[in-house]
Amino acid sequence: MNNRNKDNPIVGIIANPASGRDVRRLVAQASIFPTVEKSNMIQRILSSLGCVGVREVVMMPDTGGITARIRHAQETGKSHFARNWPTVHFLNMPIDDSEIDTICAVEQMVKLGVAAIIVMGGDGTHRVVAKVCGKTPLVALSTGTNNTFPEIREATVAGLAAGLVATNKVRAEEVCLRNKVLHVDLNGAGHEIALVDLCVSSECWIGTRALWQPNCLKELFVTFASASSIGLSAIAGYLHPVNRWAAYGLRILLAPPGEGMFTVSVPIAPGLIEAVGVVELKEIHPKEICAFETHRGTIAFDGERSIEFNGCDRPRVWLEMEGPVTIDIDKTMLKSAEDHLFVHHDDRGHSYNRNKKGVPMRT
Amino acid sequence: MTSQPKKEDLLKAYRIMKEIREFEERIHIEFATGKLPGFVHLYSGEEAVATAVCMHLTDEDRISSTHRGHGHCIAKGVDIHGMMAEIYGKKTGTCGGKGGSMHIADLEKGMMGANGIVGAGPPLICGAALAAKLKGTGGVGVAFFGDGASNQGTILESLNLASIWKLPVIFLNENNGYAESTGVSYNVPTPNIADRAAGFGMPGVTVDGNDYFAVYEAAGEAIARARRGEGPTLLECKTQRFFGHFEGDAMTYRPTGEVQNLRQTKDCLKIFASKVISAGLITAAELEAIDKEVLALIEDSVAKAQAAPNPTAADLLTGVYVSY
Repeated sequence: MNNRNKDNPIVGIIANPASGRDVRRLVAQASIFPTVEKSNMIQRILSSLGCVGVREVVMMPDTGGITARIRHAQETGKSHFARNWPTVHFLNMPIDDSEIDTICAVEQMVKLGVAAIIVMGGDGTHRVVAKVCGKTPLVALSTGTNNTFPEIREATVAGLAAGLVATNKVRAEEVCLRNKVLHVDLNGAGHEIALVDLCVSSECWIGTRALWQPNCLKELFVTFASASSIGLSAIAGYLHPVNRWAAYGLRILLAPPGEGMFTVSVPIAPGLIEAVGVVELKEIHPKEICAFETHRGTIAFDGERSIEFNGCDRPRVWLEMEGPVTIDIDKTMLKSAEDHLFVHHDDRGHSYNRNKKGVPMRT
Repeated sequence: MTSQPKKEDLLKAYRIMKEIREFEERIHIEFATGKLPGFVHLYSGEEAVATAVCMHLTDEDRISSTHRGHGHCIAKGVDIHGMMAEIYGKKTGTCGGKGGSMHIADLEKGMMGANGIVGAGPPLICGAALAAKLKGTGGVGVAFFGDGASNQGTILESLNLASIWKLPVIFLNENNGYAESTGVSYNVPTPNIADRAAGFGMPGVTVDGNDYFAVYEAAGEAIARARRGEGPTLLECKTQRFFGHFEGDAMTYRPTGEVQNLRQTKDCLKIFASKVISAGLITAAELEAIDKEVLALIEDSVAKAQAAPNPTAADLLTGVYVSY
């Protein structure tokens, strides 16, 4: 496999086999996303990449059955669809069955100079990828419920968009956007990031990681907030929507319902609409350092409790505009349509002109 | 679940985990002397699972266990002296010294028995759960089983029955990575055993079995759901055992250094202690005091078991036939 080459761009694929088994299947009505469907999505992506001229793909290996099915289809040649696939290389790396695998795989992909990485997973998987992907453009595909950063998209179209950007048929500068990110520093020693929301909870322990009890929520920071999303950022989304590209975020102080300025009812998990009390809401601007008002509890990144802290810790949080780069699938496909990238002119002697709207009309 | 746990509950949890650990470590030593009849299968390394689950249960709730049942027994409140005597085969044992390690039971405590038949517990628990449902007691049943047992027909049948009858059962899978000497990645086709839950129309959740608080949270939600009449849950706890499948197992199937590494990095007691001390809720001195008390308890149980009488010939037929 050759390293990055304009004439032979490589696309990376990260598919997390482990997502979708947390306690939200118990406390909410979160669905599961079968491994077989993840594998099917990848196969559709490979067909799309092959269609637009990508000839090499690198994938993160796994023990969950995803890569096994791809290997089988590729090596046995029994799949009709596999005939047009790019060559799929599986990264040579140990498998830990943890987020370490994702970090290791993305680091290798960046080193190889991949032109784009297609990420299949939830907010957590994308957060891990964002830590190490640098400026490599990502296609963020959701596999599961309760996700805000990645999109639920048909994989075939996502693959086309990734391939068009990777092969420079659509210029990355026209369709890629830089996302915001929240940084947390704990006592000046190492830090973590969040792509959508960071929540301070009074829960003492990481435990099952999910957050679903409103009484425990104390402080919320968001990079963006949509009234159409689900999860903690919806608290902000229902009060003061902020789009992904706005040059600010929000900080909200929370309380048990009825104990703040007002109460907002939001879908904090699939099928779980809960009342949350709001004490205060204000904008936060890039590089503005914020300290927590809570002195003991847990910090949740994109809905997952990850760090336990107590009175001896001094966490700080701030917003940055220089987060991961994502490919806007709609923009990419619109550009491809405007440029007729998928239109082939038949040589049947017909002539045509474009009308004022650019639509080809037979003369 | 409240965000601020009660100190007495944390101390109780630590005590139970410590009792299990010291009980097993002592059995490991005593078995090597040749004084214990029969086989033993030790639970060291998995303490957080049994403890965190049973903290939510009362004597009205039922549990079924496995061949690796000492931890379940202690967590459910079975008398440690009686357990040690039973393992020694003495008359003062919980089953009169006639059952041994794999048949320790105490129905008063809701412990339906350790069980030497792989996968035999869940059907029993379905029965107990059905009884609780019909009587309206609000009780639940917890069926402990391992990764190897997850492939047994009895487990799959139990999952199906509990689902269609909406029984208050928690199927508690202790995935310690080995079915005797067979690795779980060889004999289970999915990365998580909880993945099977969807096929039976029940929620399936996987948690880190080395983290007491993760198991406590998930088990609490599953048990509450069962008590509300919402049906069964499959809860998988990924854990590990520090000893072999049985005492005497040379563990040639495990990578060199694996156990040593696990004792250093995945010891659930150390993880628990670190968390509660860092949170400022309990001091190291308080935990050390518990350590001393537990060691004294185990020592006493061994001494009493060794001194206890054996069952007599007259005891042979007691508990075998029912008198009408």
